[in-house]
Amino acid sequence: MTPMLLVLFLGFLILGTSAVDVKGQISWNDICRGYSQLGHAKVVLDNMRYSGGILRDGFFIIPNVPSGTYLLSVISHDYQFDQMRVDIKDDSVEVHPYVPGTPMNPPSTILLPYPITLSARQRFNYFAPRESFNIMGMLKSPMILMMIFGGGLVLGMPYLMKNMDPEALEDFKREQAKMSHAQAALQSGDLKSGFSALMAAASGQEQTNPQPTPQAPRGQAPNKSRGKGNKRR
Amino acid sequence: MQLHAITLFFLSLWLQPSSALHESDAGVVDWHKSFVGVPNIDTKHTAPTFHEASQQSVLLTATRSNALAALNPLTGSVEWRYVFDPQDNVVTYQKQGSVVASLSGPGGANLRSFNVFNGEMLLEKSLHRPNTGLLIQPNSLGTYIAFGKQTREIYTLTNGRTVNLVNGSDISWTWTAEEQGSQVLYSALSVTEDALYLVGLEASFASYALHVVALSPTSGQVLSSSTLPSSISNGLDDFLVLPNAIVWLEDGVLKHFTLSPSLKGKVKSQKSASFKKLVDVGLSSHGIFMAYQDDTTDQLISITNGELGVTKKFNPSAQSLYTGQIGKDGQPYITCLSWSPNTQAASAEVHSLEPGALVAEYSLPFDANTHGPVIHVAMDLLTDSRARLFLTTTTGAVQIWEGSQHIWTREEGLSELNAVKFVELPERVSVLGEGLSEEGFVERLLRQAKDAKDLPGYIVHFIRRFATGSYESATSSAIVHPSSVSATQIPFRDAFGFRQVLVSSTAYGKVYGIDTGNGEILWSRTLGTGHERGTKIVPLADKMFVLKNVADVDASSPGTGPEIVLLGDSVTEDSTVKNVLLFHLNALTGQDVIQHSKSDGDLQGSSIASKPIDDAYILELEGHKIVVLIDSQFKVHLYPDNAETHRLFSAATASLSAPLRVTSAQGHRRLVGHQFDKKEIVDASDQEKFEYTAFPTWTFSLPEGHDVQAIVAPIRNPVASLGKVLGNRTTLYKYLNPHLLVVLTAPHSTTVLTPTAHCGLYLVDSVKGSIIYEASLPAEGNACNVKATFAENWLVYHYYDDEYQGSGQAKGYKMVTVELYEGKQVDEKTLSSSLSSYSDKMVEVTAYEQSFIYPHAISAITLTSTKFGITSKDIIVANVNGKIQSISRRLLNPRRPIGRKPSSEEQEEQLIQYDPLLPDDPRKVISHNYDVAHVRSITTSPALLESTSLVFAYGLDLFLTRVAPSNTFDVLNESFNKLQLVLTVMGLAAAIFVTRPMVRRKKLREKWYY
Repeated sequence: MTPMLLVLFLGFLILGTSAVDVKGQISWNDICRGYSQLGHAKVVLDNMRYSGGILRDGFFIIPNVPSGTYLLSVISHDYQFDQMRVDIKDDSVEVHPYVPGTPMNPPSTILLPYPITLSARQRFNYFAPRESFNIMGMLKSPMILMMIFGGGLVLGMPYLMKNMDPEALEDFKREQAKMSHAQAALQSGDLKSGFSALMAAASGQEQTNPQPTPQAPRGQAPNKSRGKGNKRR
Repeated sequence: MQLHAITLFFLSLWLQPSSALHESDAGVVDWHKSFVGVPNIDTKHTAPTFHEASQQSVLLTATRSNALAALNPLTGSVEWRYVFDPQDNVVTYQKQGSVVASLSGPGGANLRSFNVFNGEMLLEKSLHRPNTGLLIQPNSLGTYIAFGKQTREIYTLTNGRTVNLVNGSDISWTWTAEEQGSQVLYSALSVTEDALYLVGLEASFASYALHVVALSPTSGQVLSSSTLPSSISNGLDDFLVLPNAIVWLEDGVLKHFTLSPSLKGKVKSQKSASFKKLVDVGLSSHGIFMAYQDDTTDQLISITNGELGVTKKFNPSAQSLYTGQIGKDGQPYITCLSWSPNTQAASAEVHSLEPGALVAEYSLPFDANTHGPVIHVAMDLLTDSRARLFLTTTTGAVQIWEGSQHIWTREEGLSELNAVKFVELPERVSVLGEGLSEEGFVERLLRQAKDAKDLPGYIVHFIRRFATGSYESATSSAIVHPSSVSATQIPFRDAFGFRQVLVSSTAYGKVYGIDTGNGEILWSRTLGTGHERGTKIVPLADKMFVLKNVADVDASSPGTGPEIVLLGDSVTEDSTVKNVLLFHLNALTGQDVIQHSKSDGDLQGSSIASKPIDDAYILELEGHKIVVLIDSQFKVHLYPDNAETHRLFSAATASLSAPLRVTSAQGHRRLVGHQFDKKEIVDASDQEKFEYTAFPTWTFSLPEGHDVQAIVAPIRNPVASLGKVLGNRTTLYKYLNPHLLVVLTAPHSTTVLTPTAHCGLYLVDSVKGSIIYEASLPAEGNACNVKATFAENWLVYHYYDDEYQGSGQAKGYKMVTVELYEGKQVDEKTLSSSLSSYSDKMVEVTAYEQSFIYPHAISAITLTSTKFGITSKDIIVANVNGKIQSISRRLLNPRRPIGRKPSSEEQEEQLIQYDPLLPDDPRKVISHNYDVAHVRSITTSPALLESTSLVFAYGLDLFLTRVAPSNTFDVLNESFNKLQLVLTVMGLAAAIFVTRPMVRRKKLREKWYY
């Protein structure tokens, strides 16, 4: 027991050479108006090794902090405060802003005033609003939009066909037959004939460009794989 | 492109987080009971007292849970509480006016003051460094608070030698006793207008002498100091400091000394009687104290003008407790509460001291069987003849009585739960069709005709229910309103099994059955000590076992139910463990299963081992559950102790193994694996009987100076899938070794701090002792605060990393997630769940791990558990800022792609890009507005719904809620509009009804024209 006490004592002597009281204040703002809203809260350095409670007037003191680099954070139930990097060196205290998840070194070039001033950033909202039945919201959903579009197409198609130019209609029917042939081939697993059918359909479509571009087959390949991936889902 | 958009849309549906709590569900699906802890009555400076200022009355107390709290004496609600840090334990408090001040920490290092009514902190001052504090027992020794004329002037005595005057937030003066040849330990202050008297004990040969220093209250200068000619043998209990005098006992003789700034005067003694003990009953400011003479006489003695006088003599018949108060008329009053274990009531006498008359005498119908004996009483005089009494009992219950009327009870013992088990409830016993078996045809017809009168009502009810449909939903309350008939019968479950019984034992020797629906206590039993006085039962931490759950119970036989086995140490007054008792009780009613005879009174345990036990666990063999205890002599005890148990255990002996935490002779705690040996013993009854002992097979070796700190048992729940299919159609097979243990190690407390000191975390195969996974974590000084949880093949741990110098590093808390898979690569299968631990393949493991920054320190961590294990598991943690938070498994997947967007294959697995920071989403705080203070442990239990898990957190407070990590996929959504559906269906039916004749007519007409 004695050696341990001695160690503690020696440690105290070493630490005792320079230890600072870190001082600061909570500035009340619209988010957190006063102590009655904040409740019991405290300001801690690192893993709560050094801590100071926030008083009714918003002031806090973290006593006897030895030299070093610390991460200052506020332990509060309902409010979010910024974290800060505090460097203590020979009775001087430097405060830098710190973004959680970023490396501590090098410190930010911005130097914050000391004594530290902290203010609440946000009051935590623990609840999700209850989603109510909303006709507009339902209509906006892509599923419903697709359904309506599909339904409209089914109803509108016969009228569309009727109003079409007979020649164009003839063309369109031919195209459709080709496409359906290609689709059937692809579905039955006959990729080659499906491809050729697709190509034929494509070339048929590109009447103005009689020579098929060399990119066309390559352009089709990702299309195919995407289609396949989608089917699997 | 459109296809891609659709894919993204579906993905976003998947990715949306499980919905947070709705505000209207708060308090319905969850409950929170806040406690302050059991009042600390060791010294009068921490014991409960009433305080009245500006027409308001509060009850102040410091508690064993290290809190300072104010309770409302009318309602029993917590007005405010301040929970101190564990290393900063509250040692004394003092109040005056609207201020209460406290000293805490070693030697009273920290002074705080609070507003007595709302708990706002007014002052926090460090009087000395905690590491220079005096470490003595009791902690309160050498500390004292006294108020000056104003509440902003606070005189403090700390470390037994330093006096400070703290004025406002500044220290006006400090006086420290010089180190002299002889040691003086000051322990009391007395403030008068002329001087501040500091009284302490000076050690001399074989006894102590009183030493007094008079200081100037304004400047702190020593006016005079003197050692009184006195010889005190017992130390602190033998002297009292009154405002103007010191009284002490010297070999039974009462002596006193009048204080004056010059400290001149004579020691006077009263030789008329011999006393045993002096007690301050709260009237010391009036110079009145209690002196215990012998077993039959107690004297109330007052000092007036420097002379001692007996004010009142009491002749208590049994245990008596005294409490005094200055009444509204400025006169002192005293209450004597007499109580004997045999009677069902306590009697109270209120005396006024100035006329010396008995003001009131009445009896309190106090139930000692439920709450245990009263150990402390505080009083508040309401009127001249009516007193409000505050009782503290051995089981941790606190009560307020006004006159003989009981006002409220708080079960503060629940703030120190040490073992908790969820027990499912049986279904509601149907009362329908409960006809007598021998009734004849006519009788039955008559009975059924009588029952049929309810039919119209039933039909109306059915239609209403069908149309508007308020069905049970996942967020409906689990409070079941019992029908009036079965009001007093055993509890039953609700539709989804959210209502269960939480059987919990407290360190104060009481067992409670708590309804998970609303947190009400269904039953409670005090653990009996047998018939021996001076012993108490301390339930062993986490040694509670469900011997029979609801499925094992034969429903047809009445009076049976799920059964719980609980182990407790029988501890004598000098805190040695005498023997280990086993309590076997019905989880639904708290009835003793072994002895049905005693339904009230204490629960009697049966002695199962005469030595302290090292470990106990429950074993399931061929459908039978056996409680196995291993005592410190490695002897094995079985419960239930019958032939069937012995046969099963004997058959399985060779294949069983148990890891035990053994303390070596040097005080090092090691982990040693044991197996069992059986030895036949010759019995008089000629029966084959065996005696079992455990023998060591392996020892877990640790680096020099390191100790096993804790063993975390894995959470065992059904495993739904044996592997994980990846996006590229390969499979990772889970490493499901059923014998894994998480072992946490720490540097030994006496080893000198070295740079190599670290905390260790190991996954150990408990059969062979082989290490499957290990991690070396930084130690915080010499302390380790690693929290870990493990289930299936998933390990999550949390620690603090102090290192920030390295590139890219930052100080902070880290959470590491580790998943173990079989073999060295994908698609490799070793069948680890059924493989022998001795197989070479058992150590072929691939660990995937990732580390995250978690913004808070945590005090407990666990995983959700569901009935079949299909639902994904969430991590539940208790933050130090009083919150219970859930973290989605998707965030803690150790295979999140780092530094790039997830590929389409990874998207299929729902992997998201790695982000070092775990988001601190307030909507994931399942305890929302509740401040759940100092959580020590969290336990989870499956409900009947696969999607939902019950979460119970306990520490100072109790908190219970439900979580659905993958949303409630197995119940209809609450927002589902049933009325709309019914109306739509009805509308369609009506449309068909209208259009059908039209269509028929049209068809007919068509036939005519063609």
